[in-house]
Amino acid sequence: MIVTKNLSIKYGNNVIRFPDINLEQGNQLLITGKSGSGKTSFLNLLGGLVNPSCGTIEINNKEIGLLSKKKLDSFRGQNIGFVFQTPHFIKSLDVQDNLFLNQFLVGCQDKKYIEELLIKVNLKAKRYSNINYLSEGEKQRVSIIRALVNRPKIVLADEPTSALDDESCNSVIELLKSLSKETNSTLVIVTHDHRLKSRFKKHILLNVN
Amino acid sequence: MLIKLGWKNIVKRPLSSGLSMVLLSSSLMIILLSILIKDQLEDRFFENANKVDLVVGAKGSRLQLVLCNVFHVDKPTGNINIKDLEFLSNHPFVKSAIPISLGDSYKTFRIVGTKISFVKDLYKSSLIKGKLFEKSLEVVAGAGVAKKLNLKIGDTFFGSHGIEESLHNHDHFEYKIVGILNFSGDVIDNLLITPLESVWDVHHDEKQKGSFDLRTKSDEKHHHHIDEHTNKKEITSILINYKSGRGKFTIPSIVNKKDKLIAAEPAIEIQQLLDLVQPIIKVINILAFFILGLAIFSIIITLLNSMKDRYYEIAMMRVAGASQSTILITILIEGFIISLIGALIGFILSHLFMSLIALYLSNNFHYELTGFYFATTEIWVILFTIVIGMISAIFPAISAYKIDISRNLKSNI
Repeated sequence: MIVTKNLSIKYGNNVIRFPDINLEQGNQLLITGKSGSGKTSFLNLLGGLVNPSCGTIEINNKEIGLLSKKKLDSFRGQNIGFVFQTPHFIKSLDVQDNLFLNQFLVGCQDKKYIEELLIKVNLKAKRYSNINYLSEGEKQRVSIIRALVNRPKIVLADEPTSALDDESCNSVIELLKSLSKETNSTLVIVTHDHRLKSRFKKHILLNVN
Repeated sequence: MLIKLGWKNIVKRPLSSGLSMVLLSSSLMIILLSILIKDQLEDRFFENANKVDLVVGAKGSRLQLVLCNVFHVDKPTGNINIKDLEFLSNHPFVKSAIPISLGDSYKTFRIVGTKISFVKDLYKSSLIKGKLFEKSLEVVAGAGVAKKLNLKIGDTFFGSHGIEESLHNHDHFEYKIVGILNFSGDVIDNLLITPLESVWDVHHDEKQKGSFDLRTKSDEKHHHHIDEHTNKKEITSILINYKSGRGKFTIPSIVNKKDKLIAAEPAIEIQQLLDLVQPIIKVINILAFFILGLAIFSIIITLLNSMKDRYYEIAMMRVAGASQSTILITILIEGFIISLIGALIGFILSHLFMSLIALYLSNNFHYELTGFYFATTEIWVILFTIVIGMISAIFPAISAYKIDISRNLKSNI
């Protein structure tokens, strides 16, 4: 499913090397490390947002480094969902349109699925609300289902819980785990949040090299 | 969806988007307005000017002669004796020579003393009511006068001297409306037409008082005396149409050789007048293009500013699978919506203002223009404005196109 080999990225004179990973469909992986260890870079590499200095990434037996810019964009839109530490949205659109935009951008329309997801996170009543009027917890829940609207094969989450209190942290991580299990998507979370360590079987620690 | 997104983004920043639209629409309005006025004035001017090949009147300004006798806006140049013009009516190159006598008005509308052929042949007007005048003091009213003064057949009125608001009333002679003409769109709509004899009768009694008679008292007496004896009949001008093209080359030179007379070709005089106005229109257009420049600048800044707040949003869209060209199109759509709305507002405003100007001109100068005149050049100007608006969106759009996803995702966290 996801296979990486000899990945490294250069920042000026610094070279960050990453361990090889090999994940099956439906696997859940936690990657932790101190700041500066390249957690976010690793996630960006997996999502095709930045190019590696060397090494290869294969997703579904496709080497994403070989895809053209445009193909990579649509490949990412169709196969990978992202969740970020601070949920950001298109401010001028309401909750439902923010979700719908993500479908539109990959050329699919499935409002019914959006409704299903909204029901699952208990936000159906707020689907026409201005996105700015939602609480942080609600926003994070919307951002999680936004990552799932196109039924992606992979969900990549960057520090999804570090801004949240214990209670919200729990519910967000449970939601991520259960939803990706339900949709059988591969979940990769990078974080420095120690609260999550006990929740995942697979765990990689990145070191500052 | 992208159109919806563009629209929502514009609505979200009403002030800056509004400013762009206002600038765009006002520049378009000025450009369109100058086109509308110029086109209509030219149309009107030439339409009326081309009805008459040559005006012959007393020596003075040619332009004044034309303005006064063809357009009925300026003061008369002076009087000439109808006998001095007989050679013109009989000339083989002349198709028609219609004498007119001006000087009086009723409630700012001019009373024109002339012959029936002025109505029937020159302006080819038909009656909507009543009959054409037959004897002195009978009047046929143009459609515009009749409507504005609410004149009916059988109404009577006293003329006043001069063409401004009444200076002096001729209250011994009562004019009577015998006919009302159809609307034609020509100057005749705003005239009160009467036989030459009416004007002579009225002024004969008044002992030739008036602005166009600048004679001393003793002179006046003397003149009056001669008048009665020789039955001297004076007119303001004679409107000539040629029988053949040859008239154009011979008649004016014959006329201009005479001491008291001058000949003016309306088409040439009007062209010269318009040439004088041309620079003013140019200056107005330069001003409009300057505002258009501001509008472009404003659109660029509006979009760039909104872009600044939205780098993260755009990065998000890229993460969600939007290609660079999708982002480019999104921003271009915003520019398009702004310029489309601006253009529409400008278009509507220009015709609204045109209607107001038309109303003003019609009330004050009896000059009929309309807000519902549409020129084909308008379409091009509007398209041009929209294209300009979109072009000004290109620069911000390219800056959005180039956004580095990972860096912009981080910078906002």
